[in-house]
Amino acid sequence: MRKRTLFGIIITFLVIAIAYFNNSSSISAGEVKSNMGVGGDAIGFLFVGPRDDYGYNQAAYNGSEAVKEAFPFMKLLRVENVPETAEAERVMEEMIRSGAKVIFPTSYGHLDPALEVAKRHRDVVFLHQGGLKTAENLGTYFSNIFEVIYLSGVAAGKMTKTNKLGFIASFPIPQVLLNINAYTLGVRSVNPDANVIAVFNGSWCDPGKQASAANTLIDQGCDVLTQHQDCTKTIIETAERRGVMSSGYHCDALEIAPEGWITGAYWNWDDLYVNMCDVILNGEFKGSPYDGRFRTGIHEGVAKLARFGKNVPDDVKKLVKEKQKEILDYKFYPFTGPVRDQSGTVRIEPGVVPTVTELETTDYLVEGSIGNIPK
Amino acid sequence: MLAKRVFFNKYSIGTKITMALGICIVYGVFLYTQGANPFLIYYEMFQATFGNVYGIGEVAIKATPFILTALAVAIPARVGLISVGGEGQLACGALSSTFAAVYIFKDMPSFIGIPMLLLAGALGGALWAVVPGILKIVARVNETITTLLLNYVAFFLVGYFIYGILKSPDAYGWPFSPRFSDSLRLPTLEGTRIHIGILIAVAVAIIVWYVTMYTHLGFRMRVVGGNVKAAKHSGIIVERMQFVTLIVGGAVGGLAGVIEVSGIEGHLRPMTGVGYGYMGFLVAWMAGNHPLLIIPFAILLAAISVGGNALEMHSGLNSSIVLILMGFILIVILAIGKRGGK
Amino acid sequence: MIFVTEVLTNAIRAGTAVGYVSVGEVIGQRSGVINLGAEGSMLAGALTAFALTAWTGNPWYGVMCGGISGALMSLIHAFVVITRNANQLATGLAIMFFGQGITAYFGSSYVNLQISGFEPIALPFLSDIPIIGSIFFHHDILTYLSMLMVPLVWVFLFSTKWGVILRATGERDEVVYAHGKSPNCIRYMAVVVGGFFAGVGGAQLSIAFSHSWMENITQGRGLIGVILVIFASWRPERAMLGAYLFGGSQALIVSLQGRGYNFSSFLLFMIPYILTIVVLVMVERTGWNPMPEALKKVFGRG
Repeated sequence: MRKRTLFGIIITFLVIAIAYFNNSSSISAGEVKSNMGVGGDAIGFLFVGPRDDYGYNQAAYNGSEAVKEAFPFMKLLRVENVPETAEAERVMEEMIRSGAKVIFPTSYGHLDPALEVAKRHRDVVFLHQGGLKTAENLGTYFSNIFEVIYLSGVAAGKMTKTNKLGFIASFPIPQVLLNINAYTLGVRSVNPDANVIAVFNGSWCDPGKQASAANTLIDQGCDVLTQHQDCTKTIIETAERRGVMSSGYHCDALEIAPEGWITGAYWNWDDLYVNMCDVILNGEFKGSPYDGRFRTGIHEGVAKLARFGKNVPDDVKKLVKEKQKEILDYKFYPFTGPVRDQSGTVRIEPGVVPTVTELETTDYLVEGSIGNIPK
Repeated sequence: MLAKRVFFNKYSIGTKITMALGICIVYGVFLYTQGANPFLIYYEMFQATFGNVYGIGEVAIKATPFILTALAVAIPARVGLISVGGEGQLACGALSSTFAAVYIFKDMPSFIGIPMLLLAGALGGALWAVVPGILKIVARVNETITTLLLNYVAFFLVGYFIYGILKSPDAYGWPFSPRFSDSLRLPTLEGTRIHIGILIAVAVAIIVWYVTMYTHLGFRMRVVGGNVKAAKHSGIIVERMQFVTLIVGGAVGGLAGVIEVSGIEGHLRPMTGVGYGYMGFLVAWMAGNHPLLIIPFAILLAAISVGGNALEMHSGLNSSIVLILMGFILIVILAIGKRGGK
Repeated sequence: MIFVTEVLTNAIRAGTAVGYVSVGEVIGQRSGVINLGAEGSMLAGALTAFALTAWTGNPWYGVMCGGISGALMSLIHAFVVITRNANQLATGLAIMFFGQGITAYFGSSYVNLQISGFEPIALPFLSDIPIIGSIFFHHDILTYLSMLMVPLVWVFLFSTKWGVILRATGERDEVVYAHGKSPNCIRYMAVVVGGFFAGVGGAQLSIAFSHSWMENITQGRGLIGVILVIFASWRPERAMLGAYLFGGSQALIVSLQGRGYNFSSFLLFMIPYILTIVVLVMVERTGWNPMPEALKKVFGRG
């Protein structure tokens, strides 16, 4: 008899409890504040990896340092190694609880969690790095760094002797494919016989896998290595050790590859971040260029060309600088058609300049690259 | 009562409290040497976990999968099997329910959709447990090893599908499944992330406890767990018991998976729920495989995990400092020990 | 390089670290103790070796200290499991978490550093042999040592008195007592030695293979090493082979991709694990179960 009562109690409790829950589609998340982002005393940054990765996260971290300097009265809440799952939501909620009304989720995978949190806190402004979806209080920003990667490819195309360049990528997502394509187009523009070998190693930063991939590519005959990884040190060092050249990404790594460094592309988020915070803290977020998909790039100094290595001959430097000027003067755009994919099909018609949105949804690899988009 | 085998009852309350204080002090000293104020840190951690409704909710959310994956270990453990397959079962439950949600249920209204979804998840987990089950019965291969290996296979299986046919067309090539329709998401408490999963988890734990303690089936399970020879002599078909418990454990693990996806994430990612299975194993082990005791231990580990982010945010110390705490606590508990360990 | 050469060379390069852990685990498991915490030992070794090499410039100090820190980590495991009689699997997992936490935390300031470490050495004459030369004789010193280590461990286990005693510890305690030795003492030593090997494996990963340190750099290699022991039926030479297979699957993917082949890398990654299960089934079928008796108790009834 006692057991049945126990069961009865449990079931009653459950039924009552369930009544308190309702479906998430009917969340009413508080009034929409017209002055979003104002009134907090903290600014939050989320990084997907460690800040010392000599790459993606370090660039973003440096940007956050600039914000710290520019806004000494604001608390800086920074969390590293935030996974790209709903864990990120919790981190953001904690930041909001600690007084943040401006949050920078810096990794692509933080977008969906950010959108969820944004729904629940309409008075907080989110500035997401690299995303394609926006919301009332969530804007995305990114830099057209592929323009600089094109230049990097031009330099590399001139320098390669074996006509094989290795590109170590992480996942076959549009941003990565775009970079591979930009690099390849750059290489082929000066060296139509060269090929870029792209491999996808399934991680953003795994030194073991990176060393493996680098060694294998070098064994295959590549004499230039580049990558789209969060941390770049291992690959560049491996290249240097084995006497091949390297192109950089995310970070200017000339110091670690004195002999083999060609050039590279890196970020400079500092001014942009400071400007964004300025605008938001003054209550001017809505209607500003940051409210939506904000793209910047080489023209604004957010995407920069790294220094040239010591073994880069003057004529190559001159060529790259000329091309850079052409881009800066809007006389040339790296992806102007015709652009063909690996099977020869024309993807961008001759003379057509694709929009950034089209490029950021790239799903193919261009002619001149070897490698497949893994399924 | 089997509950008495738990080491808890070997020591008095006083000893347990001293142990807890001891850990806090040692860890506090460690924090101090790292330049942080231990009192402030503990305060912030407490604030973040139990200091407000939001925190408690977050702990509940984290504890939910831990409870279920712990049960996935505890149920087979009742008959003497050691399964570490919570990881893989969670993954397969998440996978199967995602397939169901995307291809079959789509927009089904919640009151049938959600129970069906949960069923799909439980089925996925149970199916994954069939493999080690069959291998154990037919080929007598050790279940600990097979479940451990299959965890990895499940992980890759999820990745295979997410990069393949399950990849969302809206995701611009990023590896996510399509989002579940709102009607298939678990109901949540107004304005928070707390979803009904915690109730489900607690209910399952209670049901498991009840079945084990008060039903004939449970009695037979305990006999097998106590003495296989005696069980055989009294006519219990041991192999069938073993198989059944593995499957049921798998179903519960699968439930953890579907709850994670439907309650929290809203879609399947390659890394959904990774690590929860091993946490569950530790929780189950600490609780002596007792279904009800699993609940407080799951809450404990969840609290430490949730507190970790607060710790990082407010002290500026690297968040891995929380892993150190967790590992340290576990090692101490293990070292204090219970009698008759393996 | 031709395809086969490329894959095999890189299989050895990538597999050595895992091989160190695995061979060490063979020793430990033969005595009846399974150490899932090998992952923690490996991480400890990787960080310590990297840090020491960065400070002193001498990678040999790095290796030694890496091995020692790995040994210390597994000493904790030995204590909790042998003296305090705790569950081996749970303890191993706890040490794994602890190791991950400690190394991630203390290692954060080392992430950006450059070190000299060990470079590959091409053995004179031997490395000029076509194909075989490239595959086997273009490696760093730690890899060469690992190749030497395998036959040494094999000889130790199967041809020396101490090897017999070690194996007896894992099979039948009474025999060991009868010889006047303490099985627990031997287990301690076996586990600590296993941890030392794991630490050296970690060192190889950080100062010879990738010349980097990153938190969780091992990414589960330690656990894989432990699992490979089962695949290897507790024999050191097979453990090393298994490690090369693991390294090979990684190398295979890059080599295939680089040549433009399209396939799913996930399916390839699954293969080592499925193979292990198949091996286990076949082993059971033949009725020969090579698992040391003492380990059978850890895993429950059979």
